Parts: sequence; structure tokens; C-alpha cells
Amino acid sequence: MKEINLDCLGEACPIPLMKTEKKMEEMAVGDVIIVAIDHSCAMKNIPEWARKQGHNVEIEEVDDGEWEIIIEKTK
Amino acid sequence: MNEFWLKLGKNKIYNTLLKEPLTYIAGAVLLSIFQIAHLSVFNSGWGVTGTFANWGAWLYKLVGGDASSWSYFASESAQKTLSSGFMNDGGSIRNLGIIVGALVATLFASQFKFKKIKSWRQVIAAVLGGLLMGYGARLAGGCNIGALFTSIASLSLSGFVFGGFLLVGAFLGSKLLVKYFM
Amino acid sequence: MSETNVSTIRSTRTRTPRKPKKSQIPIALFVTILIIAFGIYLGTYNVKLTTYWIFGISFGYILQRSRFCFTAAFRDPCITGSTSVSRSVIVALALTTIGFTGIKYSAFIKGNDIPGMGAVAPIGLPLVLGAVLFGIGMVIAGGCASGTLMRVGEGFSMQMLSLVFFVIGSLWGAHDMGFWGPKFNANAPKVFLPDIFGWFGALVVQALILLLLYIAAVKWQEKKMGTTE
Repeated sequence: MKEINLDCLGEACPIPLMKTEKKMEEMAVGDVIIVAIDHSCAMKNIPEWARKQGHNVEIEEVDDGEWEIIIEKTK
Repeated sequence: MNEFWLKLGKNKIYNTLLKEPLTYIAGAVLLSIFQIAHLSVFNSGWGVTGTFANWGAWLYKLVGGDASSWSYFASESAQKTLSSGFMNDGGSIRNLGIIVGALVATLFASQFKFKKIKSWRQVIAAVLGGLLMGYGARLAGGCNIGALFTSIASLSLSGFVFGGFLLVGAFLGSKLLVKYFM
Repeated sequence: MSETNVSTIRSTRTRTPRKPKKSQIPIALFVTILIIAFGIYLGTYNVKLTTYWIFGISFGYILQRSRFCFTAAFRDPCITGSTSVSRSVIVALALTTIGFTGIKYSAFIKGNDIPGMGAVAPIGLPLVLGAVLFGIGMVIAGGCASGTLMRVGEGFSMQMLSLVFFVIGSLWGAHDMGFWGPKFNANAPKVFLPDIFGWFGALVVQALILLLLYIAAVKWQEKKMGTTE
């Protein structure tokens, strides 16, 4: 069960989501990805996308305007 | 003292009122209310980019140019706006308000962070994107607010035409984004 | 959206102890005082400007709190197939249409000038070309007109740069409209739907168009993502 870190700090919409999508394609079921973002749109649209895909998602605010989105690939 | 603010920020009610993002639908409803109020109060709909042309003219003046003789600014109201300046222009105040309104929203949520430009790709994207939007909005007579939101709500067919071709542009832009700006 | 303290996802990630955090609320309150002060200042010479200020602050606040992004409404269907933002834009259009029409119709039957007719724009080549250029620009720049202003307020230096060139592009466009306008817009039609369908008919037609667009958006997302929730 791999754990991958994806640093998307400073990226503009929709780059964080696109990068997350791409990385998740390479992952196996059960792998976990941690996406670091500082974009207010991304803290909404990445979890929304991941949930629609059926994955487990959690989001944590780690600092002012910085979040980590933890996604576990379930299928 | 900081402890008090931190505790307040974690309070459930505070969170719901001032921190948790609103749903897109809530945003849609609130924006609509204010748009309608805007028409009622000012007899015209909300717009953003018309003001940018004025800002451009004022900046141009700072470097010695004079745009006030252009046919675009020929109307009496345009001349009056140009000569009265930023602090007398409703559109300028409104646009500044949007910036400050967004700022205060993030501050109350303790989510403000200054984000530096990361790469040359972002610089090119910002410059090119900004120029295209500025030029395009003047051609179309408005932007996503004036030519789309306000126009469609005003029962103008132009709003739908704008929307359709905006989608075409967004599609092309998406292709460029994936290819060059990722 | 949950912000759980106990993760249900197995991860070896160490929760880095946060640096002693400073709440931004005091700054927020300070800025609020400045906002009120500025509004009062504007009112000393022109109360209308205070009203513009209030509207601007409100729009900016709402846009940021809801992460409302017109760019996403047009771009996401092209990239991920998601239409949640698109559908919200359609809802906003529908609601605003109702309110606007109420105001306009009541002016009409009283025999007054109909407000807001400046938004009925000529449908010609400049509109079409301008829309395409704007669409390309907003996706590349990561924000539309309102989105750029919102992001400047959020601290994105990329959008601050974008704004500068947005203004320059606007000046350039204003200059060139001296050419485009007379050549292509002078004879282009301005179509106000009530002129064709009557007031009630126009509302029905518009409602139908928006409804069809909404359904199309739902079907698009189902096709591209498999689900709308």
C-alpha cells in the first residue's frame, strides 16, 4: 500500500485537480495520495471529484490557506 | 488574546457562518439577489470589464498618453467618467470592492495566504490570458458578468450567443492549457 | 465536507505539529473597519459611491465564500466532465432573469424607460470573436473577470499579474473598437426577446432554453463521470 505525496502548492486552477487525476491513474487500489494545495477552488473541487469517483476522501487544513487532501483509491 | 481568536475560529457556529465554503447553489442564489438589487438601485446590471478600459485610459495618461480622444470614449458619459477619475467612478469602486470583499472573506476564515508565482509558464499564462480577456471583452462589449450573466438575465439573445462562443473559447483554452501550461 | 481529527484512512503521514498559529480574525476585523470607514468617506461626497462599494464588497464576499467560478462552469465540462458549477450558473441565470424581468416589466407597463437595456448587445462578428478570445484567455489565466478580482483579494500574485494585462488588453480593445464597431456592429441586430415573443413568451422561451441546458449539463456529467452525486 503505497503513499504518494503530490505538491500542488502555488498551482492555478485546474492544475491541482488535473495532476491529481493523472497521478491516481497510476496508483493501485488501496494506495493513498496526499495532495498539498493552497487554492480555495481546489479544496472544493478535488474532494468533490474524488468522492464522485467513489474514493475515500479527507481534507485537513494544515495552515492558513493551505490544505492537505488525502485520497484513498478504492477502485 | 490570540488564544481567544483561535478558539472563536474553531467555534461551530462561527465556522458555519464565516468559514465553511458555501455551496455553489447558495452562491448562485445570493449572487442573483444582489444582481437583481443592483438593477433596481442603479437601473443597470452588474458589469466588470467596462471599468478596466477606464483604468487603462488612466494608466495611459500616467505615461503621457491620451485615450480620451478615441471614438470608444466619445460619448458624453464616457468623457465625464474619464475626467472625473477613479474616486468618482462607481464601476471602479465596485471592482475595488470585489477585491476587498474577497480579501475579508478569506481573512475571517483565516485562510489568507499570499501565493507567489511559481514558474515562467504561469507568467506567460497570466500575461497572455489577461490580454486575451481584456481585448475579447471590449470586442464583445462585456465579460462573463456583463455580456453573459447580465445580458442573458436581461432577455438579450446576445447573452446566449456570447455563452455559446465562450464555451468554444474555453474548449480551445483547455486544449492549450493541457498542452503548454500544465 | 468533513474535517476529521481521527483519520479513517491508513496513512504513515506524520501530522507535522503546527507552528504556533496566529488567527487572522483580528486582521479581518481591522479590514472590516477600514471597509466601513471607506464607505463613509465615499458618502461624504457621493452616497451613490457608497452603494457601489457595498455591492462590490458583497459580490466579492459571496464569490469567495462559495468559490463561485464562471471559468470553471465552462472549463470543467471540457476537462473533467463535471458540470456542478455550470448548473449553478444556470440556476443563477434563471433566478436573475425572473427578478430582472419583474423590474423591467413593471417599468414597461408604467410607460417608463426600461432599465438595463444597455445589456442588449449587437450580435455581430465582434461579439463572437470577443467571446472566443475571452474564453481562451480565462481558462489560461485561471480566472475570468470576476474570478480574477476575487483571486487578487485572495492573494494570488498570478492573478495580480493577469489583472495588469487584463487592463492593458482592455485599453487595446477599446482602441480597436474604433475600427470593429463602425465596421461590424453598426448594422448588427440587437435582439430583445420580448420584442419577438412578447414578455410572457420571452420568459417561457428563456425558461425552456435554460431547462434544456440544465438537462444537457446533467447528462454530460453522467456521461463523463458516471454520476452527478
